[in-house]
Amino acid sequence: MANLKLHNINKYYGAYHAVRDVSFDIPAGEFVVLVGASGCGKSTLLRAIAGLEEISGGDMTLRGTSITRLAPRDRNVAMVFQSYALYPYLSVRENIAFGLRARKTPDAEINTQVAWAAEVLDISDYLDRYPRELSGGQRQRVAIGRAIVRDADLYLFDEPLSNLDAKLRDGMREEIKKLHEKLGKTFIYVTHDQIEAMTLAQRIILLKDGQIEQVGPPLDLFERPRNAYVAAFLGSPPMNFIEVNVSAGSVILPDGQALPGCAMPDGIYTWGIRPEHFTADEQGPLLAKLDVIQPTGARSYGTFYIAGNHMMAELDAHAANHGQTHLSVAMDRTLFFDPATGEAIP
Amino acid sequence: MTANSLSRTLERPGVFKYLLIAPAVFVILLIGLYPLIKLAVTSFQDISMFGADYSFNGAKHYVRLFGDSRLWESLLHTVLFTAVALPIELVLGYLLALLFLERLPGKSFFVAIILLPTIISPIVAGSTWRLMIDQRFGPVNQILSWIAGREVELLWNIQTYLVWPAIMIAEVWQWTPFMFLMLYAALSNVDKEQLEAAQIDGASWWMTFRRIVLPAIMPVMVIAMLIRALDLFRIFDIIWTMTQGGPGTMTETISIYAYNIAFREFETSYSAAIAFLVIFILTLVVVWLLRRVEVER
Amino acid sequence: MIRWDRGWRLYLRVALALGITLVFVFPVYWLAMISVKSPDEIYAYPPVWFPSEFRFSSYVTLFRDGDAWAVWNSLITAGVSTVLAMAIGTTAAYSIVRFRTGGENLAIWIISQRMIPPICVAFPIFLLFVSWQWIDTRFGLILLYTAFNVPYVTWMMRGYIQDIPLELEHSALVDGLSRWAVLRKVVLPMARAGLFATAVFTFIFAWNDFLFALVLTKSEAVTYTVKVTGYFGSQSTFWSKIGAMSMLGVLPMMFVVATMQRFIVRGMSLGAVKG
Repeated sequence: MANLKLHNINKYYGAYHAVRDVSFDIPAGEFVVLVGASGCGKSTLLRAIAGLEEISGGDMTLRGTSITRLAPRDRNVAMVFQSYALYPYLSVRENIAFGLRARKTPDAEINTQVAWAAEVLDISDYLDRYPRELSGGQRQRVAIGRAIVRDADLYLFDEPLSNLDAKLRDGMREEIKKLHEKLGKTFIYVTHDQIEAMTLAQRIILLKDGQIEQVGPPLDLFERPRNAYVAAFLGSPPMNFIEVNVSAGSVILPDGQALPGCAMPDGIYTWGIRPEHFTADEQGPLLAKLDVIQPTGARSYGTFYIAGNHMMAELDAHAANHGQTHLSVAMDRTLFFDPATGEAIP
Repeated sequence: MTANSLSRTLERPGVFKYLLIAPAVFVILLIGLYPLIKLAVTSFQDISMFGADYSFNGAKHYVRLFGDSRLWESLLHTVLFTAVALPIELVLGYLLALLFLERLPGKSFFVAIILLPTIISPIVAGSTWRLMIDQRFGPVNQILSWIAGREVELLWNIQTYLVWPAIMIAEVWQWTPFMFLMLYAALSNVDKEQLEAAQIDGASWWMTFRRIVLPAIMPVMVIAMLIRALDLFRIFDIIWTMTQGGPGTMTETISIYAYNIAFREFETSYSAAIAFLVIFILTLVVVWLLRRVEVER
Repeated sequence: MIRWDRGWRLYLRVALALGITLVFVFPVYWLAMISVKSPDEIYAYPPVWFPSEFRFSSYVTLFRDGDAWAVWNSLITAGVSTVLAMAIGTTAAYSIVRFRTGGENLAIWIISQRMIPPICVAFPIFLLFVSWQWIDTRFGLILLYTAFNVPYVTWMMRGYIQDIPLELEHSALVDGLSRWAVLRKVVLPMARAGLFATAVFTFIFAWNDFLFALVLTKSEAVTYTVKVTGYFGSQSTFWSKIGAMSMLGVLPMMFVVATMQRFIVRGMSLGAVKG
């Protein structure tokens, strides 16, 4: 089966070290998401796997044979691009058939394959139109169709949803996930959007400055981040961080408030609390002065400051009110990090 | 090596890119570099109609350049002609562009017709104007007669004070549309919101032009002028058909003179020296202009 | 601002535009009329503005005497050299854009070759043609026009190819095309409009050339521009032939301006203005 192994991949642009010693395995059939802030090297890595970018060092194997030196067309991968990369001078049908024609597939097979892909993606009615006559979402489907008609070992997605508006994005996300379940192929998906990463991935590879920060299933990364960077990257609104002193089982906040129920040994930590770890509670030990309330419907986000540190709490819509509010904290779900290195302390 | 592996080798970016560009570099070297080398060699030899001496004879042809008054006159003609024709074309082209910038029914039809002179061969333009200015059966004198109310019989290509204006008219007729088109395109791209903002701010016409319009059209204008200036500097065809440099050497430009020396008097070596002088001057001017443009930016 | 467009200002503008257009078209009109006038009308004083009948005898003469051969020569040399220059220049442009061959400088060097006045290189090329016996051959003229137009084509196509999204090519590579096939099946179709516009200009440059044809041809391969000037005799000038031959040279150009308007600006400004 198509098992992709990357071994110590490096990429330099001149003196700039874009990808640093990246190694990972992707077993056949997995949906892997490469995620990270812009400039973290995720797209470079994907394009290197496709063969569009020459790597400076390292080795890649697919099905056990090295593909490092192969031209893109000899790697048997399919790719969906951010800008869709549809050929404006070809009809939707010919766009989808392009890769099959390039590989000299018999016409009869092309027809069945294209019809199947169009069916799957619900674009059968548009086959004879041209890309300029389609909406953004339809173009996106055509681009995906062009990839899935091919019987490729790997399906690569380079930020395929970033040009769509928010509503369409949610719908397409779901469809891509369904598509993966239906096809059972290996998907490698690049995005900067942590929600896409969380919702789509069976496994997330989180990159920072060309290096892997953490690899694992989405909930693992979310609940047990290796460090503060990973913790901050996943989750929206992001995790709150504050320097605290733990003493005799209590967290002492910089403004002097003490929150009991902490199992950490005494010392100074960076404390990470996700907004949803707060609850409005008359008996809560934390007194916060909510400044700004941002309702989103069911939940509301309340902003407050602890000794100048900006904090955000996700509260029940009706419980979030301006002014002094008592909050309780789910202590056992909060995280503690080494203030110097940012590493998580279990 | 199998055909397949050969095609894959040729396809490697490091090989492929040179494969693609090799023919172009080859032909350009053929017409760009070979003639220059040939010129350089010839200019130091002694080849003319009267004999060929292939040994190197030093820089005497270059020395001769300095004392050649006909050469410097032709150069002066060229420079003056360029200096007069270029601003005329620019201003007329600009005015024309302003006219067409506003709403005008049948605009693209008018533009197509106005462009015709620029597209046709300069030889045809020259012939046409030679026809137009003929003192007897050309319509120019006839029209002037109607305007003046008496018989006008100007000898356009014989009278010394008329022959340059005649060429100028032909040249301006042929190339004003070029300037018009460039400036029209540039003016269409001026930010309308900036103009509206200036209007609201109560800017004067002159200030709007200086501060908004001119900076916006400057890059295109500079390029258009550069293209025209280089063309004007090597003007040959129009003059060839209208006067052949005459009467006498009245309308001899540097290109006409160089042609005469090379192909009528067969002073091969000397013509090579002249060619080098022209290339030298052009290089200086172009480099200087590009510097200026860079400074402006 | 007050909308005066419907009023006299609009009429004034139209009248002005009409007048100016007449000024620019009148010489061409005169040329066309000369070609269909009778000899008496050509030499009449005062000049005749509209011939009593359209006589095409001067055209017939051109074809009967074989002078029209020169137009055929122009067509062949300009046509074939355009095809060659397009092929050579487009591949070079693709190399420069996609692989940054030679960096920024190579492109500048190539376009700078266009700045050299033809007269400066005419004589060495003449010598070269003499020694290789290319004088007065269409083959020689084709090669020369090709070489002279390659810089223009390279420069223009560089601009058009830069406008093609890189992802289209990458997508084709991943889908299994070779680099040659990408050039053929993605780049060329994407640059179709640019190719067309550039080819037309390349054709015009070769078609309108006079100096090289004058120097490098004698009789067999003369082009129409040389033929036109040949009718200016020292004793007599054959105006009807000049008119007819010139019109044969102008007609294709009329077709060009009629069909090509939206490409002309970019083509003429060496890509400085993107229409």
